[in-house]
Amino acid sequence: MSHTPIERVAASTPPAIASRVRGLSDRTLAWIFVAPTIFLLLAVNIFPLVWTIRLSLTNYRANRAGAELEWVGLRNYTRILTDPDIWQTMQATAHFLIWTILLQVLIGFTLAWLINRKFRGNDLWTTIIVLPMMLSPAVVGNFWTFLYQPQIGLFNYAVSFVTGIDPSSFSMIGSVELAPWAIVIVDTWMWTPFVMLICLAGLRSIPDYIYEAAAIDRASPWRQFWTITLPMVLPFLMLAVLFRGIENFKMFDLVVQLTGGGPGSTTELTSINLKREAFEKWRTGYASAYAIILFVTVFGLASIYVKALNKVKER
Amino acid sequence: MADVTLRDVSKSFGKTQAVSDLSLAIPNGAFVVLLGPTGAGKTTTLRLISGLEAPDRGEVLIDGRSVLRETPAQRNVTMVFQQYSLYPHLSVRDNLAFPLRSPILRTPEDAIARKVGAVAEVLRISHKLDNKATQLSGGEMQRVSIGRALVRDPAIHLMDEPLSSLDARLRAELRIELKRIQEDLGATLLYVTHDQIEAMTMATHVGVLDQGRLVQFAPPREIYEDPVSLYVATRLGLPRINTLPADLFPGAPSGARFIGLRPEHILQGTGQPSEVIRMEHLGDQTRLHLRLAGHEIVTLTDAHSGLESGDRILIAPRDPLYFDAAGRRVA
Repeated sequence: MSHTPIERVAASTPPAIASRVRGLSDRTLAWIFVAPTIFLLLAVNIFPLVWTIRLSLTNYRANRAGAELEWVGLRNYTRILTDPDIWQTMQATAHFLIWTILLQVLIGFTLAWLINRKFRGNDLWTTIIVLPMMLSPAVVGNFWTFLYQPQIGLFNYAVSFVTGIDPSSFSMIGSVELAPWAIVIVDTWMWTPFVMLICLAGLRSIPDYIYEAAAIDRASPWRQFWTITLPMVLPFLMLAVLFRGIENFKMFDLVVQLTGGGPGSTTELTSINLKREAFEKWRTGYASAYAIILFVTVFGLASIYVKALNKVKER
Repeated sequence: MADVTLRDVSKSFGKTQAVSDLSLAIPNGAFVVLLGPTGAGKTTTLRLISGLEAPDRGEVLIDGRSVLRETPAQRNVTMVFQQYSLYPHLSVRDNLAFPLRSPILRTPEDAIARKVGAVAEVLRISHKLDNKATQLSGGEMQRVSIGRALVRDPAIHLMDEPLSSLDARLRAELRIELKRIQEDLGATLLYVTHDQIEAMTMATHVGVLDQGRLVQFAPPREIYEDPVSLYVATRLGLPRINTLPADLFPGAPSGARFIGLRPEHILQGTGQPSEVIRMEHLGDQTRLHLRLAGHEIVTLTDAHSGLESGDRILIAPRDPLYFDAAGRRVA
C-alpha cells in the first residue's frame, strides 16, 4: 500500500485522467500551459503590428474600406519625416518629456528624502501625497481647466496672491507661451508621487548600518548623500525615469482634456497628432507609418536606456 | 590612542534595559574583551562609546574629556560591525580609502595608497583591491571591514565579533595578526566576542557583562582561575566548568551550595567512585564523561588510558571553586 503523501496523491487521481495525462511528455505539457499566452500575444500584439506595417506601405483609408488598395512603398515614411508640422509636434513632445521628467525627478526625490526621515505621521503624509496618482487622467485634465480659469481659477488666484499679478491678465491654457507649461505643471502634479514612491523604495533599501559606518568613518552628511544615498538610489531613480518617459511619450488623455492640443498646435503632442491623422483625416496608411516611426523611436530609446540601467545596477 | 572611561552609564530601549550603571576603565593600549551572552549589552556598550547611541545617564570620557556632546566623527573612533557594513558600489580599494578621504584629515592620495596597500597585505586581500565590495565572499568582506578600521589611527578601535563569520583557519590566523597589529601600534581596542580562545589569547583585560551590568573586570587568567561568580565561571572554559552540589565531596566551606570543577581540576585515582559513560577522542584532547551520584561530569584524560564505558574510577576535586545559593563565590 502507498504511504508517502506523494504516493497517496498519485493514487487518488482518477484513472481516466491519469491514463490520458500519462501519455504526455514534460515538453508537451509545457507547451500546453504556455500556448494560451502565446496565442493571446500573437493575436493582440504581433498580428496588429505586422498588419500596421503592411498598411503603412499603402494609401489605405479606413473610412473607404471598399476602395482599391494602392501600394505606395516608403512614400508615407518620407512624407512624415520631411513634414515640418510633424517636427513641430515632435518638439512639443520633447519639451513636455524633458521638463516633466526633470521636475518629477527633482521634486519626487526631494519628497522621498523628506518622507524617509523618521517623523510622526509620515505614513499619513505619504498617503496624501500619493492621492493625485489615483485619479483618472481625463478627470485631472478636466478639473485643471477650471483651476487654470483666468477669472475664477484657483491657480491664477494663487499666482496672483504670491506675485501680485492680476489673475485675469494671463491664461495658462489660452496663451501660446504658457500652454506648454500648463501641461507640464499638471503632469508633474499628477505623477511626481509615482517617482517619489519608487525613490522611497530605494531609500528604504539602504540599511542603517551603512550610514552608521559612514558616520564613524567621518563622512559629512553631504558626503554621505553623494557617496551612499545617491549611488544606491540611482537604479531606482532610473527605473522611474524609464516608466515616466514611456508613459509621457504616448501622453494623450490628460492633454486632450486640458488643452485639446491648442492653442494652435502648441501642445499637440505626437500621439494627439497621430490620432487626428488616423481618425479625423482618416489617412490610415499614412497614420500607420507614423505609428511605426513612433514605435521604433520609443523601442530604440528604451532599449538603449535599459542597457544603461543594467550597467548602473552592476556597479 | 587614548584611554576610554565609562562612568555609571545606563541605556534602555523602550522597556529593555540594555546597559545599567556600567563603569569601565579602558587603559591606553589595552586590548579589552567584553564577554556575555546575547542581550548582555555588549554591542550597546560599543555603540555608546562610538556615539551611535546616547546614554540615558552617565558619562563617556575619552582621554579624560567628556565626549557626550560630540558626534561619532568628532570622537575619532573606528567600529567594525557584526554585519559587513561595506559601501556596496565602491571597490575594495575605495572602501579601505573611504575613512582616509575624510575632509577632516586631508590625507594626500599617495599616502592613502601606501596605507591601503599595507593594510590589504596584512589582511591578505591585496589581490581583491579592484573588486567591487559585492563580489567578495563573507570572509573577505569582513576583512575589508576590519581593514577600514586599521587604516586609521583612532582613539579606540571598537570591534563587534569581527571574526565570528570567518572560517576556523582564517579566524586563527587573523586572531594572531590582530593581536600583533594591536601590540605594534599600541592601539586601544574594545572587542566583543563569544569565542573563549579569542578572549583568552588576545585580551589584556576581560570584562564580563550580565544583563547590562559589569560583573567582573580582570586579566583573562584571573577571570578563568578566580571568577567572582558561577556566571563568570561558565563564560570561559571548554568543556564548560562542571557545576555540582557542594556536598558531593567532603570539605565544602559553610554556605557553599555549588562546587565548580574545571575539567582539568579533577584528580583521578582517589576519592569518590564514578562510572564512565563515554569517551570522546578529539585528537588533541580526550574527554571523559562520568556519572557521579546521578550527575554528569566532564573531565580530560590520556588518550591511551584504556578506559571504556561501564568502567569505574575514583575522582576527587583539585582547587575547587565554591559558590553560594545565589551563585556568588564563597571560596
